Amino acid sequence: MRDAASDPEALGLELLRMQRSRLADRLRPPWWYRLGGATVWALFYAGPFTSRSFSSPVSVSTWAIVIPILALCLLMQWGMTRATGIKAGPRPLRILQDGLFYYRPGRRAGIAMGVLSLGGLTAEHFLIDRGLLAVAIVVAVLAVVAQSALQQAMLRAVRQDLRTGGEAA
Amino acid sequence: VNVPAKPDPLIHPIARLSICGLLAAGADWVEFATLRDAAGISDSVLSKQSRVLEDAGYVEVHKGAIGRRPRTWFRLTPQGRQAVQGHLAWLAQLEAAVSASAEDAQPTRPLPDDRDQASRVLPPLLDSSSVGSDPHGHSGV
Repeated sequence: MRDAASDPEALGLELLRMQRSRLADRLRPPWWYRLGGATVWALFYAGPFTSRSFSSPVSVSTWAIVIPILALCLLMQWGMTRATGIKAGPRPLRILQDGLFYYRPGRRAGIAMGVLSLGGLTAEHFLIDRGLLAVAIVVAVLAVVAQSALQQAMLRAVRQDLRTGGEAA
Repeated sequence: VNVPAKPDPLIHPIARLSICGLLAAGADWVEFATLRDAAGISDSVLSKQSRVLEDAGYVEVHKGAIGRRPRTWFRLTPQGRQAVQGHLAWLAQLEAAVSASAEDAQPTRPLPDDRDQASRVLPPLLDSSSVGSDPHGHSGV
């Protein structure tokens, strides 16, 4: 009689689970990744202040915010890939191949980040236009904290999918 | 996308199953050393088996470099992903069937921590053995 404990197929699956767990453990973000993430979001939410709250001679061009953000994101992605040996970040061009709703771990956290980005910026613009600068700063700080937490949640979701097998399970 | 559960003889050997299963887990590209360490296989085994999978069109290999150090990256092709999903689904079905048959075949034994079993089982047995016997304990032989 075949036994679950000695069955080669069952053992193969069990081994694969262990290996996946080992792979998932490698995807732990280093300290600089968290710091970089918080910096990116701080720059992002600083945008409305630089362009609106001050008079035009002092105001900063949007590109002065966007370019450092993009550069920092690329640098972080490169560093993370180099440190972990795993490329698991967003792949926007996959939409062309697999459609808009292609499988992607951490999709919920990603959607929440998008909503929070738009909501946070809108709230900041609204408050700055009405001269409520202190409230706008509080909103920006809270949004940075929330975005950093969502970024960690997204990485946790990727790790969880690596552990359980994701779409292949 | 639901892939029919079916075995794939190319993926079935344990080293190839490890490589494909790890690549199918959710990462896009996985680096040679990371894959080797996670799978717990040697450099030569990974090189050999990945070439078999590459020739079959299951795995895509990209060779690059970081500084002067060459790096090799692997990822599953859509064809490979489909084959792995089917094979893993088949393995999962097999595992479930084996577990179910093992449970069915298991005899009903007292649980190790069922300490009250004796007090529940013995009194009825003693009662039935005392029917028709001498109340003073004489068997009448």
